[in-house]
Amino acid sequence: MSWLEDVLRALENEELQRGLRTAVKNMRTIRLETFSRFPYLTEELADYIRKTKEKVLKDLEKYVNQTLKSIEKTGAHAYLAKDGDEARKIVGEIVGDGRKIIVKSKSMVTEEIRLRQYLEERGHEVWETDLGELLIQLAKEKPMHPVGPALHMTRARCARVLKSIDPEITEDMSAEELTYRVRRFLREKFIKADVGISGANAIAADSGAVFIVTNEGNARHVTNLPPVSITVTGIEKIMPTTQDAFLQCIVQSVYLGSFPPAYISMISGPSRTGDIEARFVTGVHGPKDVHVVLIDNGRMQAAKHEYLWEQLLCVRCGYCLVECPPWNLSGNLWGGPAYGGPMGVGWTAITEGINVASSLATLCLGCGACKEVCTMKIDMPNIIRNLKKGIGH
Amino acid sequence: MPLPVEDVINMVVANVVRRGTPISMSDDALNGWARELNLPKYGDTVLYTSQLYQMVPYARASVDMLEDLEKSTIGRILVGLGSRLASVYDVSKLTVRVSKEDISAQHDLLKGIARILNNIGISFGYMYDDELYSGVLLYDLGRDEDFRRHAERVSKLFKERGVKRIIAVDPHTTYILREVYPKFVDGFDVEVRNYLEILAEKSPEPKKKISETVTIHDPCYYARYLKIIDQPRNLLVNAGVEIKEPDRTKSLTFCCGGPIESIFPRISKEIASLRVDQLGSVCKNAVVMCPFCFENLSRADSGKVQLRDIAYYLSQSYGGVSI
Repeated sequence: MSWLEDVLRALENEELQRGLRTAVKNMRTIRLETFSRFPYLTEELADYIRKTKEKVLKDLEKYVNQTLKSIEKTGAHAYLAKDGDEARKIVGEIVGDGRKIIVKSKSMVTEEIRLRQYLEERGHEVWETDLGELLIQLAKEKPMHPVGPALHMTRARCARVLKSIDPEITEDMSAEELTYRVRRFLREKFIKADVGISGANAIAADSGAVFIVTNEGNARHVTNLPPVSITVTGIEKIMPTTQDAFLQCIVQSVYLGSFPPAYISMISGPSRTGDIEARFVTGVHGPKDVHVVLIDNGRMQAAKHEYLWEQLLCVRCGYCLVECPPWNLSGNLWGGPAYGGPMGVGWTAITEGINVASSLATLCLGCGACKEVCTMKIDMPNIIRNLKKGIGH
Repeated sequence: MPLPVEDVINMVVANVVRRGTPISMSDDALNGWARELNLPKYGDTVLYTSQLYQMVPYARASVDMLEDLEKSTIGRILVGLGSRLASVYDVSKLTVRVSKEDISAQHDLLKGIARILNNIGISFGYMYDDELYSGVLLYDLGRDEDFRRHAERVSKLFKERGVKRIIAVDPHTTYILREVYPKFVDGFDVEVRNYLEILAEKSPEPKKKISETVTIHDPCYYARYLKIIDQPRNLLVNAGVEIKEPDRTKSLTFCCGGPIESIFPRISKEIASLRVDQLGSVCKNAVVMCPFCFENLSRADSGKVQLRDIAYYLSQSYGGVSI
């Protein structure tokens, strides 16, 4: 149980404990504010999204096939990878050989399949462009939250970590100054990049459109500036229609509290024009080659599982973590190799196997706070109680 | 060094399966309070403790021991032995030391609850040495088959002794009997009430007003699983108590950490510490409603808050008896 030793060590890590407390406090405040400002975007809409997602999960194979066809129709290339290995291979082949510069936006699925590490091992230069995720990359740590990966780092720590990309950075620099320097550094990478890799928050089965929610705007550069764009996403992100996919993004942002997000991008195929003699030309200002890789990695099987299926409804807003007592102390050090907290235990069971998740389940109090605040009202305490069956005897 | 989790879980489960309870206690420790009150043995309606209030001092001593083991290397070996020995020996009984004062403090709470119920005209019996633990731990740990066997045993006893109605006095027992037993035991038709529900429904006039200000810690099972949220508040407010709600309250209450106290004593205590800080920042008097919330929060408390079970206040005001 190496995770347990990590958690026990985390209790002694004052910086982490302080960071978690501040983050939890802020996230609770902004969610309450958002709920009172946009009450019409809460319960009823969330309930509609849950029912819609249930419909997709009951017929997942059909929706996957429809989505693949729709993606192809946009002029993009569609792939279905049965596991992490296959996904890495597909992305590796699209990227090709030689030392390529790759810019990435934050994506939990790419954490799940360890895509960045794989591409780095193949000799490519890979840059996370979400500020928090870049900090995690440079510090060689694990994201502490799906939306706020570096919430545990103090400003001084961020400065120390960022020194490796800009030696002039000093510990007394303000957050504004640090952000500006990261912007300056990454700007050059965006321009030079051969490939951009992003995740997705939703994908529409009817149109093949990919939705990406971001506040920094980095995902716009990632999907727009390099000549090749690859989007990697889990099949549970499929929504039946373009409208549903958009609404899902709205609900997810509202329930995390960061609403309205600065950007929601809807991307359908390569950049194109017909302005010169009505001749169809691709790759105008955006990428010429667009690829969408859908990842199964246990999801298809989980959709039919007696209790794990419900975790697939998760929109990964990460709010369950905020209310989870063990997570308040451990951050994502508890929950699995990629995901963390109560949602993480379920996702780990799906993507890494029930055996791995059973050990993690033992830390759960069964207190029910995660379910109480879950956007999709997923009965995580029930999932985790069932996972405990695999331990001991 | 962390405890060997599987061994600890196996030890806990083995104790419940073999002895019917996570911790064996003497007849006096379990039933002395009821004998003092001369509660009748059995009846249509019984007050059912599931041994939880009585278990508190023993659980504390046992968790203290586990916490010491967690800090030492030898702990791994001892607990490992424990899981195998649990089938022959009751490890917890051998190693636990408990003070008489702690036992009688818990007894006072049960006596207080029984007296208030009597005062408002509710008659009930008690099962004395026949009373069995509910088996809730087996369910929480996902040992469904062991739990089913245990629940069937408990239900059979209710049936044989003609018990039709149960008054439970804690959240875990209320939940497991009301919501889970019917799913595991065919034809389980015992009516399960909670004493706070009964009191709130009867809404008796307080015999004495209490002018105290308190904050309140909702147990997860009352607030989230059973929606028992308003009842304790109404009772306290009618008694004259002013309630200052903490930031995390009602259905968003923050768990005391108790459920993992024997598996991860250190982490459990840290969670309790977070909760004690949250409560203490609102008011130095804090009302708890579950014996295990009391137990775990008091492990972390270093005088920041005065933790008291709600029965302490209800006894004073509705029972007219200070404890």
